[in-house]
This record gives sequence, C-alpha cells and structure tokens, in this order.
Amino acid sequence: MIRLEDVHKYWDVPVLQGVDLRLDKGVVWGLIGPAASGKSVLLKTVCGLEKPTYGRVLVDQSDITEYGESEMMETRRKFGMLFQNNALFDFMTVGENVAFPLVRAGDIAEAEIAERVADRLKAVGLSGSESKMPNELSGGMRKRVGIARATIASPPIVVYDEPTAGLDPVTTSKIYDLLNGIQDESRATVMAVSSDIIALRTFVERIAMIYQGRLIYEGPESELDDCEDPVVHQFIRGELEGPL
Amino acid sequence: MARFLRAVSNPIAAVGESVIDMATHLGAVVTLLLRVIRSLFPPRFDMPEFWRNLYKMGNQSVPIVMLTAFFVGGIMVVQSAVFVKRFQATSLLGWGAGYSVLREVGPILIGLMFSGRVGSNNTAELGTMVVTEQIDGLRALSIDPMRYLIVPRVLAMVIMLFLLTVLGDLVALFGAMLFGNLIIGLEFGVFYSGLVNSIGIGDLMHGLIKSLTFGLIIALTSCHFGLNVRGGAVGVGRSVNAAVVGSALGIVMSDYFLTFLLT
Repeated sequence: MIRLEDVHKYWDVPVLQGVDLRLDKGVVWGLIGPAASGKSVLLKTVCGLEKPTYGRVLVDQSDITEYGESEMMETRRKFGMLFQNNALFDFMTVGENVAFPLVRAGDIAEAEIAERVADRLKAVGLSGSESKMPNELSGGMRKRVGIARATIASPPIVVYDEPTAGLDPVTTSKIYDLLNGIQDESRATVMAVSSDIIALRTFVERIAMIYQGRLIYEGPESELDDCEDPVVHQFIRGELEGPL
Repeated sequence: MARFLRAVSNPIAAVGESVIDMATHLGAVVTLLLRVIRSLFPPRFDMPEFWRNLYKMGNQSVPIVMLTAFFVGGIMVVQSAVFVKRFQATSLLGWGAGYSVLREVGPILIGLMFSGRVGSNNTAELGTMVVTEQIDGLRALSIDPMRYLIVPRVLAMVIMLFLLTVLGDLVALFGAMLFGNLIIGLEFGVFYSGLVNSIGIGDLMHGLIKSLTFGLIIALTSCHFGLNVRGGAVGVGRSVNAAVVGSALGIVMSDYFLTFLLT
C-alpha cells in the first residue's frame, strides 16, 4: 500500500502542495493534469527519486522520507518505472537494457536471464531485438523496451510516466493493450501519468487530477465525468473557455 | 548620481556574482571528491564500467597524445636552436628539452589535450544522461550512480592521464632528439648524455605528481558539470563549455602552486 500525507515540494516555486493520497495494493491508478502541474514530480516522490520538502510518503507502512540512500535503494527494488523519456541506457543494447534489473539482482543465472529477456521482448512485440541499440529503434519501440525493463523483475509497484507520449493513436492503443496484458498477469499496483486522457481511462480503475501541485480530484474513473470542479470539467473535455 | 552609482555597482555586483559562482562550484567539486573517496572504502564500484572507461579514455587518446607530444618536442628544439647554435651549447639541448618537457610542458599540454578530448566528452555524456533521465533510471533500478558511473570514470581519468603523460614525455623527448638532429645536426648520443647526466628522477616525479593532480581536477570538474546539467541540449553545451574552462583554470592554477611547492 502507498500513502502520501500532506506532501509538499518546493523548488523555486511550489510544485506539490499538500498532496494526500492512499493507494491500495493491486489498484491501477491514473494521474492527469495540465503541463507542469507536478505529475512527474509526484511519481518520482513516490519512488523516492525526489524527497518532499515536507510531508510523509509511506510504502508498505514505512516512511521512506526518513530513509538514507542505502535504505532507499532497497525500497526502490519494489518499483519498476517507465520514464517519460524512456531512460534507456544508450551505451547498452536492447537486451542488456531489459536484462539490467535482473543482472543487478545478482542471484539469477545468465541462461535464465537470457530466457526471461527473450520472453519479455516477445511479450512487447520485439522478439529478436536483443542486439539492437536503442538509437536504432522508433519511439514506440523504445517505449516498449522501457516497459519491458520496468516489468521484467515483476515488481509489486509499477510506475508509468507518460507511456504513450508522442505516439500515434494506433501505437497508443497497442501500448495500452500491452499494459493491460502485463497487468492481468502481474496484478501489481500501478501508477500511470498520461496526457492522453481517453486512452488512460481505458486502463485505470481510479483516477486523480493534479492542478498547481494540488490533487483536485481523486476517485473512481467511472465518476470522473460527474466531477463538478470547473478545472476538471474543462480539462477532461478540452474546452477553450474556463478557468484553465 | 543614481546612474553613476548603478554604473559603479554593476561591475562590482558582477564580480561578486562570479566569485560566489566559483565558490559554489568549488564547494560542489570538493563535495564530489569526498563522495568519491567515501565510495572507495570499501572499494565497491563497477569493474566492467571501469575497464570500459580505461579503454575509451586512455587507449583511444594514445594517437592524439603521441602526435601532440612529438611536435611539442620539436617545438622545444626549434625555439632553442638559435641560442644553442649562437652560444655553441649544443650539449645543453638534451638537458633543456628534458627539463622543460618532464617538469612543465609535458604534463600541462597533455593535461589540456586530455581535458579537451576526454573531459568534455565525459561532461557531455553525463549531461545527456541527466537530461534523458538515465541517471534517475539507474537510481530507480537501485543503482548508485556514484559507484556505477562516477567512481570508475574518476579513477580511469586519473590513471590514464598519468600513463599518457609518461608516454607523452617519452615521445616528446624522442621528438626533440630527432628534430635536434635534423635542425642543428646534434648527434643522438650527445642529446642522450645531456639528458641523462642532468635530469634526475626528481624531475620526472615533479611532472608525474602534476599529471595525477591534473587528472583528478579534470575528472572531478567534468563529472560535476555533467551531473549538474539543467535545460536540455543547450544546458549540455553550456556545461561542456564550463567544464573545459574550469578544468583549464584548475590545471593552470594548480600548476603554479605545485611548481611552487615542489621546487
């Protein structure tokens, strides 16, 4: 279970302002919001990649904001993360990238790693791409490699930051189809951020909207349309007139 | 009056800002050094990454360092040939070339060359990893970027600049000997005896201590600016520029103090 209690994050300006959130185990949760509203920072705060200025972040009842870097490293093993820019290591092949979480685990035989990498690449539709370099792949393929790397170690919590950013509608559908397939298999707790609201809503059970660092809606995806907040109303309908 | 005060205070403010900026970077570089030292006890860093960097930073720099050093040796002779001939002091050419190459010109020129080739590349590579979230990617996979990326690079740069300086010194002396023979007809034996009879191990150590220091300065400066890139591709360019300038400044300033201390 993940809990955020009154989380604030300031750089030069406030980025997160009093975020409270509770995510039960196995839930698929989505986050939407305008650009620069704090979506990625919120995800990175949950993973311990950013420390809140104040407030508590609890992962399985442990407050990770009190952790040092070494304890944080242990906690991050519970997470798989797909970054907005994929964050594929460009000095490694596709196979090495996908294998990396297993290699670093240190106790898995090479043959088993190779087999699991081949299986995972097959699952994301990239069989036989092990020896390619990330710069030889298209945007959609790189995204799929990122998903393969984020999920290969079967982490209990998976975080997807803009899984379909910059992709065409068909590839977007394929990616969400893939994410649904992986989720059916793993039953992990999922946090996903996307600007593509329509596609994201087909994937998540609960959804939240962040605006100016505050969660202004959090609830079941099916009730989002009933939200009376004018910001949410305008954002999900893409209207020109309104507070945004 | 207000305009005059503004005109006077603006340059002062600019100087003050530069001093604060330099102090901030210096503090960050020292902090990075302490973190690198802490990561070495116990020495747990990524060996494959270390070997990869030794090869990339060292082996691939050999041709350019040899070429530079060879002509540096030649320049020593061309500059001194006029006086050597005028005063009939050809036997001093070996001493002159050896003294200047081993103690000063070798370490500083090879250091600057290394900074331009390896240091700038290191900053660009780390900076690109920052802006494409690869550093966060490592942390998300429970990998300490300090042990995985920074320590192997710092060690590789220090070791390789030291070895390249040894190689460069040898090539520069060979170049000086060859050009001495071609330009003023100095026999190899005379050059050699002038070199070995007046140059001691102290002169060699003087230069090698400098090369170790320069290697550390280049490594820490390039890693610091690489890890602190802000603002995409433009930011990477700015950081590479700052790293090259910072390294050159560090090399020249530390050279002055080391020369003062070691002489």
